[in-house]
Amino acid sequence: MPLITITIFTPLVGALILLGMRGSAPRAAHTVGLAASGVTLLGALAIWIRGVDGAGFSQVEEAAWIPSLEVAYRVGVDGVSVPLVLMTALLFIVSLVFSTHITDRAPTYVALFLLLETACLGVFVSLDLILFYVFWEVTLVGMYFIIAGWGYEDRQRAALVFFIYTLLGSLPLLLAILALYLGSDPRTFDMREIIAAPPLTGVAAGLTLLALLIAFAIKTPVFPVHTWLPAAHVEAPTTGSVVLAGVLLKLGTYGLIRFALQMTPDAFREAALWVAIVGAFSAVYGALVALAQRDLKRLVAYTSVNHMGYIVVAVAAAAATTDAATRATAIDGSVLQMVSHGIVTGALFLLVGMLQNRAHTRDMDAFGGLLRTTPVMGWLFILAAFASLGLPGLAHFPAEFQMFLGTLDVWPVLAAIVIVGIAVTAGLYLRAIQAVFLGEVPERWARMHDMTRADLWAVVPLLVLTVLIGVVPRLVLDLVRTASEVILP
Amino acid sequence: MNDTMTMDMSRDLGLLLPEIVVVLTGVATLVAGMLRRHAVAMPTTVVGTLVAAALAIPLLGKETTVFMGTYRIDDLAVWAKLVLLPTTALVALMAVPEVRGTDREATVYSLFSLTTVGALALAGAGDTMFLVLGTVLASLGSFTLVAYPRDERATEAAMKYFVYGSVTSAVMIFGLTFWFGGSGSTLLTDLGQLEGRTLAATAGFVAVVVGLGYKAAAAPFHFWAPDAYDGGPVVTAAYLSIVPKIGAIFALAVIGQQLPAGVVDWRTVIAVLAAISMTYGNLTALVQTSVVRLLAYSSIAQSGYFLVGVVAIARDELAMQSLVVFAAAYAAMNLGAFAVAGAVGRDLGAYRGVGRARPGMGAAMAIFLFSLVGIPPMAGFFGKVLLFGAAIEAGYTWLAVIGILNSVLSLAVYLRIIVPMYQQPEMERPLGQRPWLVWGTALVLTLTIGLGVEYLTSMT
Repeated sequence: MPLITITIFTPLVGALILLGMRGSAPRAAHTVGLAASGVTLLGALAIWIRGVDGAGFSQVEEAAWIPSLEVAYRVGVDGVSVPLVLMTALLFIVSLVFSTHITDRAPTYVALFLLLETACLGVFVSLDLILFYVFWEVTLVGMYFIIAGWGYEDRQRAALVFFIYTLLGSLPLLLAILALYLGSDPRTFDMREIIAAPPLTGVAAGLTLLALLIAFAIKTPVFPVHTWLPAAHVEAPTTGSVVLAGVLLKLGTYGLIRFALQMTPDAFREAALWVAIVGAFSAVYGALVALAQRDLKRLVAYTSVNHMGYIVVAVAAAAATTDAATRATAIDGSVLQMVSHGIVTGALFLLVGMLQNRAHTRDMDAFGGLLRTTPVMGWLFILAAFASLGLPGLAHFPAEFQMFLGTLDVWPVLAAIVIVGIAVTAGLYLRAIQAVFLGEVPERWARMHDMTRADLWAVVPLLVLTVLIGVVPRLVLDLVRTASEVILP
Repeated sequence: MNDTMTMDMSRDLGLLLPEIVVVLTGVATLVAGMLRRHAVAMPTTVVGTLVAAALAIPLLGKETTVFMGTYRIDDLAVWAKLVLLPTTALVALMAVPEVRGTDREATVYSLFSLTTVGALALAGAGDTMFLVLGTVLASLGSFTLVAYPRDERATEAAMKYFVYGSVTSAVMIFGLTFWFGGSGSTLLTDLGQLEGRTLAATAGFVAVVVGLGYKAAAAPFHFWAPDAYDGGPVVTAAYLSIVPKIGAIFALAVIGQQLPAGVVDWRTVIAVLAAISMTYGNLTALVQTSVVRLLAYSSIAQSGYFLVGVVAIARDELAMQSLVVFAAAYAAMNLGAFAVAGAVGRDLGAYRGVGRARPGMGAAMAIFLFSLVGIPPMAGFFGKVLLFGAAIEAGYTWLAVIGILNSVLSLAVYLRIIVPMYQQPEMERPLGQRPWLVWGTALVLTLTIGLGVEYLTSMT
């Protein structure tokens, strides 16, 4: 059974059904959305249970597309992609659970989300360069319409900036793809062939790597090309932010591993230190800028710059080292960090969104003492914030620990600098918790109602996983290890 | 002797069957118009062009010439028929609401058929005489189509178009005499004889670029295009932006295959023109307030992309494939965009809320415009990937980079239509019931060409 194909296209089928349901009740639309994303989650679990072999890609499904150009529909998974597929399926279903209260053009909204889900899953399982690019670009279109249609006040401008900025970022990727294709012999768009025998050398490899780095740096995002992120997050609807931070940013770091590391390894080794320096700077910069925010959503958005910066450093360390064990450690940490960041930041954005739905503001100075009026929301936020700042026993800790371990072997000084970022993050979260949830309750928030059932159904699964991964990181790491040991031949 | 000549003649006519059917269709509609039977003109045109297209299918894969080498039956020429003839049929359908009930209604349809023959002659030209014939035939029909409404705007636009066209055609004919003088032959396959005759080769090449660049509306020979498109009916704009353009581009590609690169550095010239066309077209489109003018400038930019494929021609099979795929994609997406523009109106303000009032048409327009940007999985993406791939392969990476930057720029252009479509309309505007058949067909093609690229590229 073509399990992967069924899994990634189920949401698209749901979206097509919704197109035929225009004008129907929001309730029916949300039901279709939940059913489609639920089936997708089951499919993702089945892919996980089927498992992966150590070498190369597993569960490969192929179909002819343009044989004369060696373009084909090829999908498959390895230890790096399976955790990301699971995380994506989970984040989409909780986003759809959370958005069941949306009634404005609900069928279109749900259809766009499902389209976006197919595209995101497609990126993680594509084994063909053209197919990868197709899915990659569709994510932009889906996200553009979600921000432009259901965002906050200045949504049109934010959506426009997001679209043009990230399109500018994805076109170098197209150039790199063409370079890889033209360099391969015999010519092919098959990613497995290109990974097995990286086709480019010398200047061509260097330029291709540069194009890849530009594309993925914008997506990740890394300083100084992160500027689209705060605007997009602030104006996006809550669920848009969840998917943006949770899934779309991972496309950048996934590409860094799958393309830059695996397809241009030698050039990446040469350039690794520079990439790592940019990543480290970005991590510290993100933490410091987050510290200066009074808007909760912007604060969470900037911590993403910080967390994603660590991944860039760790992947660069994996590229630089010649020691297979160090490399495996760094990759393990990077992939786990992607998953942890997805679920923890997803939870944080949902909680901030709930706060905004109730108070219509995100200014942390406007709040205070909410732990007394809305204890459930308060404690869950505190749990998520502690996870995000890297508390042992929660999801980010094992990931960051492994990444630092990997980096320490290669560049001890950089690892030390990056640790500064963690200290700053701890400070900013503690300050946010204090401002919003501790102290005196302002009069106008005295009767704020606590989380609804839908809210709990959205957030609790993410936080349960946060604790689970924190306590038993092997759940994910064993899977990643199958790929990270053989990530480079 | 006599026998072989008759045999040759019947063989040649057999290979020319598609063209003959289109000519007969044009004549038949003209006669219908004279007999005041306007109602049969549109169906005749649609059926005639589709039959001609069907007759062209068996010619795929042939690699031959007729009339002593002057007219080619090869992949490029046959694909031109397979793209342009169905386009003409759709244009005829699209014309109905705009020309129904007007005086000399049937003439419009016959002009479509005859102008298409001109474009096909350009795409199939194997001889400089056919280049001239095709250009003149395509031009005469086009002038008349633009002037058809006979109001002040249309007359002015047609006049500009006519004067510009006469001058460029004259320059082309004049320049082509240098090629004849240099090579001693009018056959394009004999262009290799120009080796070593730099002056003659250059003079002829410049003239051809002027003549065909004008037909293709590539910068800097595009000045007529926005006025001509905006002056006439929208359907004329749709037609002119596709059929003569593709004919001229394919002719240029054939010349590129034959012209020795050593004698004149034509690749660099075309590459520069491509870069100018793309950049100028997109930048100017950015400030238009009429959607027809915006699409006119966008089609100038798209000519630039076509020229990228011309630059790479003869170096690699990829370039030929890219031209065919992009031509098919361009015909579908551009026709679709113009069809929606015909239904909604020329004023950019009229698009506000269209996506909410008419979700199907709004989504179709968004898909056409995204396809013009080159966003997958729409048809335009596959065309552009192949074009840029061919350019890199031919050593013109800088041109591919400019093309890619222009794609980003063009997104800003097309979002100027897409963004208001999904905003709250200020007031309810009555939207005329226009045939959805044209944009519906274009939509299906725009979405499925990507899946069928194999059939467009599997050539010799």
